[in-house]
Amino acid sequence: MLKKLTVVVFLFSSCVAVLGADEDMSKWLRPSEVPQPKNNKLTPERIELGKLLYFDVRLSKDDTISCATCHHPQHGWTDEVPTSKAVGYDGRVGPRNSPVILNAAYQRHQFWDGRARSLEQQATGPMSADVEMNMPLEELIPKLNKIQGYVALFEKAYPGEGLTKETLAKAVASFERTVLSTESPFDKYARGDKNAISEDAKEGFALFKGKAHCIDCHDGWNFTDGSFQNIGLNDGELQGKELGRYNVKNRGAWYGVFKTPTLRDVTKSYPYFHDGSVKTLEEATVICASGGRYENGVRNKSDAMKDRKLTHEEVAKVVEFMKSLTGPDIDLKIPTKFPQ
Amino acid sequence: MKKTVLAMLFVSLSLFATNHIIDQKGKTFIPHEISVKPGDRITFLNSDPFAHNAYTDDEDNEFDIGMQSTGTEKSIIVKPGGDFSVECAIHPNMLLEVIMK
Ligand code: HEC
Ligand code: HEC
Ligand SMILES: [Cu+2]
Repeated sequence: MLKKLTVVVFLFSSCVAVLGADEDMSKWLRPSEVPQPKNNKLTPERIELGKLLYFDVRLSKDDTISCATCHHPQHGWTDEVPTSKAVGYDGRVGPRNSPVILNAAYQRHQFWDGRARSLEQQATGPMSADVEMNMPLEELIPKLNKIQGYVALFEKAYPGEGLTKETLAKAVASFERTVLSTESPFDKYARGDKNAISEDAKEGFALFKGKAHCIDCHDGWNFTDGSFQNIGLNDGELQGKELGRYNVKNRGAWYGVFKTPTLRDVTKSYPYFHDGSVKTLEEATVICASGGRYENGVRNKSDAMKDRKLTHEEVAKVVEFMKSLTGPDIDLKIPTKFPQ
Repeated sequence: MKKTVLAMLFVSLSLFATNHIIDQKGKTFIPHEISVKPGDRITFLNSDPFAHNAYTDDEDNEFDIGMQSTGTEKSIIVKPGGDFSVECAIHPNMLLEVIMK
């Protein structure tokens, strides 16, 4: 009991500290430790193998598509096409915009509707989806087992576990755990370099936390609290539109909700929103700060979506702040030679 | 209807039923762990400026209080069964562990 009380008091006082003049900036920095499941700790062999698989087009039916086709490092780990158009197998179009996989390692739920719970669970989904790589695992696993180079690399990375759908998922997930945000100007600022970002960006940060209420959802170092929200991108009953997490289970609170995305490297991840319907950060900010694209009559719209009455200048400052969240590209050598 | 009757039965059965108050504040359940017995009431408050929710898919105690806006109060009655965890459907990082005495 006393312990709990101390924790509460401590939490309370840290809240006060945040509100105070000398804000504790550590909550805005990425924790250096990457979460890893006990049965799939990161090793150089696993990461390297996962990277080869991630870029290998042989994981698709007709040897044309890899994970990187839709989540490419040079496009901020996403594609630049609304709803992954024309990049999927045989020109098929998936229903949703490719999200960034940056910092996915820290997320509790994967996909826009949160239907996968871990990166391991997520990794094999796209391989068999017909709009993505169209490669059923029953065909893919034998196909990979015929490539001696891969069999050997799996043995090194997962001794005695074989090349199975489990180890395939584990290897890809290991690589994904290294796709992490790098030090942005904002991080330098948070570490104490007061001149790392512009005055406009600083004011934008204050608006982001204050008047604009962005942190009601984009909270914490990854600028998402992992919440599922309907921000009123579509009107009314969403007839014929994406129902988001409601598809996982018909829970009232999940009607038309999507996962709040990270805003790190957000300048690289356009187009925006799950439907890729917005091209600029200005437009995205105006939508998020004015109660959604549709203000009234949206079933289950989040009540954190209110008109915050930002001026044009204030919108520009919030955008300036978001731009300061972009770090240099990850230092990554894209494989050119694959196991044979 | 049947559920309500059952719930009322538990209430009247357990004369010493306790009301456990859980506040939803700073996107956490406070407290985040409670010990209960069948017939007890769990009352959810919301001190945050936006909506929360509480639900569990537990077999014995399945419930979903729906959208709970700021300043409102919603409660459920605990039914017999095992320990269960309660989540907020909006903020999946919010977790409340309910331990059966
Ligand atoms: C044809 C395009 C395409 C290909 C190929 C593809 N993805 Fe995706 N990926 C998507 C789309 C679209 C989504 C969002 C789907 C959704 O939310 O329902 C997604 C979601 C994800 C997510 C969840 C991210 C988040 O923030 O929730 C991860 C992780 C991911 N993909 C990794 C991979 C991996 C690993 C591969 C290769 C095995 C791969 N993807 C292949 C288009 C693709
Ligand atoms: C009620 C929660 C909530 C609030 C408040 C909120 N957002 Fe969002 N934001 C979301 C969700 C959820 C999405 C994804 C919605 C979708 O695609 O359906 C999103 C998407 C975005 C995107 C697009 C990112 C991408 O990669 O597609 C930007 C940019 C953004 N928000 C900025 C802001 C700014 C700036 C504010 C404050 C003015 C703000 N948001 C307030 C929940 C919120
Ligand atoms: Cu909540």
